[in-house]
Amino acid sequence: MTIVPRNIDLQLLNGNQAVAWGVKLARPEVAPLYPITPQTPIFENLIDMSSKGMLSAELITPESEHSAMASAIAASATGARVFTATSSQGLLLMHELLHYAAGARTPIVLFNVNRTPAAPWGFWPDQIDSLSQRDTGWVQLYSETPQESLDTVIQAFAIAEASKLPVMVNHDAFYVSHSMEPVSVPSQDAVDAFLPPYQPELYLSTGIGRSVGAPIDQKSWNISRREMDAAMAGIADQVAKSGQEWGGLTGRTYGPLEHYRTQDAEVVFVTMGSLCGTVREAVDALRDDGIKAGLLKLRLFRPLPEAALRASLKDIPCAIVLDRNYSPGTGGVLHQELKSALFGLSHQPRLHGMLTGVGGVSVSARTIQKLAVAYRTAKASPTPIWVE
Amino acid sequence: MNTQFSPLWTDKSSDQRMTGTWRSALPEYSNILSPCRVACPVGGRIAEWVGQVGTQDFHGAWTTLVDNNPFPAIAGRICHHPCETPCNRAVLDETISICALERFVGDMALEEGWAFPPPKAAQKQSVAVIGAGPAGLSAAYQLCRRGIGVHLYEASDQLGGLLRYGVPAYRLDRAILDGEIARILDMGVTVHLNAEVTDAAGLQALRAEHDAVYLATGASRAKHLPGLDYSQPWVIDSAEFLAMTNTGKPTSAGQRMVVIGGGSAAMDVARTARRLGRDVTVLSLEPDALLPAQRVEVEEAKEEGITFLCGAKMQMATPTATGLTLDCTRIDFQPATARGAFKATPIADSAFTLTADTIIPAIGQDADLARWQEVLKGDGPVVGTDANCQTSLDGVFAGGDLASMERFVTEAVGLGKAAADAIAAYIDCKLPSQATPSDTAGYDTINTAYHPTAPALRPTHVDPDKRLISFSEVQNPLSQKDAIAEAGRCFTCGTCTTCDNCYFYCPDMAITKQGQGYLVNSDYCKGCGLCVAECPTGSIRMVEEA
Repeated sequence: MTIVPRNIDLQLLNGNQAVAWGVKLARPEVAPLYPITPQTPIFENLIDMSSKGMLSAELITPESEHSAMASAIAASATGARVFTATSSQGLLLMHELLHYAAGARTPIVLFNVNRTPAAPWGFWPDQIDSLSQRDTGWVQLYSETPQESLDTVIQAFAIAEASKLPVMVNHDAFYVSHSMEPVSVPSQDAVDAFLPPYQPELYLSTGIGRSVGAPIDQKSWNISRREMDAAMAGIADQVAKSGQEWGGLTGRTYGPLEHYRTQDAEVVFVTMGSLCGTVREAVDALRDDGIKAGLLKLRLFRPLPEAALRASLKDIPCAIVLDRNYSPGTGGVLHQELKSALFGLSHQPRLHGMLTGVGGVSVSARTIQKLAVAYRTAKASPTPIWVE
Repeated sequence: MNTQFSPLWTDKSSDQRMTGTWRSALPEYSNILSPCRVACPVGGRIAEWVGQVGTQDFHGAWTTLVDNNPFPAIAGRICHHPCETPCNRAVLDETISICALERFVGDMALEEGWAFPPPKAAQKQSVAVIGAGPAGLSAAYQLCRRGIGVHLYEASDQLGGLLRYGVPAYRLDRAILDGEIARILDMGVTVHLNAEVTDAAGLQALRAEHDAVYLATGASRAKHLPGLDYSQPWVIDSAEFLAMTNTGKPTSAGQRMVVIGGGSAAMDVARTARRLGRDVTVLSLEPDALLPAQRVEVEEAKEEGITFLCGAKMQMATPTATGLTLDCTRIDFQPATARGAFKATPIADSAFTLTADTIIPAIGQDADLARWQEVLKGDGPVVGTDANCQTSLDGVFAGGDLASMERFVTEAVGLGKAAADAIAAYIDCKLPSQATPSDTAGYDTINTAYHPTAPALRPTHVDPDKRLISFSEVQNPLSQKDAIAEAGRCFTCGTCTTCDNCYFYCPDMAITKQGQGYLVNSDYCKGCGLCVAECPTGSIRMVEEA
């Protein structure tokens, strides 16, 4: 195995460009794509790479996201490695086929750029588009930075192909998709070593009398879901394994969760995506002020790594969930998930749910610091709080 | 297969998915009647033979036709064609010209000399058929086909009954009549002409001689108009007038004739008289719109210069120096709710007179029941028969106008066929087969997307001014091209044309071809009904399952 020296291949890339580089290195064979703001640069970069001979994938440009996902399912069922990308309305248009892709166990990797769904019309970073797809059977990963997006999209193929479950990787519109940073682009050799060609034991072919997803009786359908459940149960370990292996190659190790200064924390922020960067800043400032704050970054949202979350938050006095999404009638989706994950845990933290950054509004480090001061000793509340 | 995702992947045929378990109704191909067949007095498989004309299988069409009626060329000219009234095509545009198509097929058979196949079985039994009109000839034909020997007893010296003596040649050419009768005789009927059975003793003698007797002597006695002296030379019975003319004998009728009646017989008398150069007035109780004759007969009679005085009644006829004076009055006619129970009320101060030389009442015919009253029971105006056409005398069956008030030629043909079925069962000591009740294909069962609208092709008629110079036929035949086009308009309701729509549209491939039809595989049919929806002919229906 080749160890690639760090930081000798830095490029200034925004999140979407980084995703395109990651996809190129993963060598997909088919990529059905349909443009939508703010995902379009991924599409454009892949087409550009294809035109330059850097990408050998067959790019399909159907008339809608629904057809893009239909094409992706069919291509994946033939044994091809398949990538697609979308955002917001496009993801929602795919909804029917998201269930199909998961049910058919097609290990497609989808990159979604989190954006507000209409109405009202908007283009702003908000995660409700992908979070509302949590019951479709897709693995969901959330990325904080362009570098993480590049690294994660490659790991996503390994996770998907090992589990035969489709994987959706998400990053926030503009904060990540259109923000540039120096990104380390690994060598093709390194990625090839990490991600061998996809060779499923079962696939569709004109030469083989075999079909997938044919009409089935009730009991067999039931079994298909039990099998998905078993596959989901192995995802957290698979994410950790892939993240470790990736770390061995690149020095950048990932897992389902990331802890930042949580060791002795009295208050821990739990959040996903770009907001994590701001929280790191706030944590450092709070620590400087003598408040023992920490960050628990959730990278794997589906399946929710419940055991790791319970272990991480056990004995922490206070946890504040920051949701950049709003599920009408309940509040923040992550808050809801945490309440469920911590159910029955002895010495569980006083949990607070904050609706921060819904609709893409800016959330400053200062705002986050104030939340720690205000809520670190407050009684737990099941209801969400809108943060100005 | 040892698969990782066993229920998801399969290398077995989808045959193992028994989608039939989803079903609550199953499509069925049989037992759907076309409305024309239901209305047809002989129960003819009209949709089937019209379809055969459409595909230019003319001999096939004829074979289908003569299964129920040995007289397609005759019926194609004079049938009152109740089949056309309920034709589903009328909802879309216009009815099919069924009667004209029947004539086309019948004429072709005569031109081509198509013969009935000889009976297969040996003729062990024999049946006496008394009366060689449409009912008797129809029964003789159907019995012969079954290999039963037929002795046909006819009172006159020619066969045909009313067809010959009642129907004028301008409606039914004598070559057609002779041709279709000869074809029946060629099957091996023993004919006894001038062999009138005059009384009960004669009937019983024939019964003793044969395995069964079919009595079809018609309704030969004219109904008499009350108050009219039939002994006067200026009164002529309509049946006698037609019989004389139709057999080429001169009539004593004067120049100015008044025909009393509004039915087909009255039209036949009036139009025959016009062809003999007479001036003719038709006097009827019924108003014009309610005349019992076929509408086309009335229209043609008017075209031929016949005067109609409808809604009027003759009270008295008085001889004068120059002829007759008919005292008449206008009447208020109320149609009957039961047979014969109409009301005709004279209108006050509406009296008028007509002058004439001859009066021909044509108000209907009665059966001669007196001849048989010693042995046959019957309460009404006809010989009584049971559901199997049998009279009160064992082995004696009756039909046609003698036993029915449905006084139409094709009704008589249908009764003859029904009687033959019953007689054959009687001889074999079996119960006659009971027809199973069936659905009728309604317009809503036809997928009209497959039937573009197209106007009906109707037969043309000879110009009125050319008709009166002879007894040549008035109605022209359909050309072969028109007949094929007209038959092509037919929905063939309830009659599968093996178009394969059901086969192609079935999403489960649950329909397979089987000979000339289809089989539904109930293991896979989900009961979705697509086959029924896409059937252009309404030949499939969904049957609910328990």
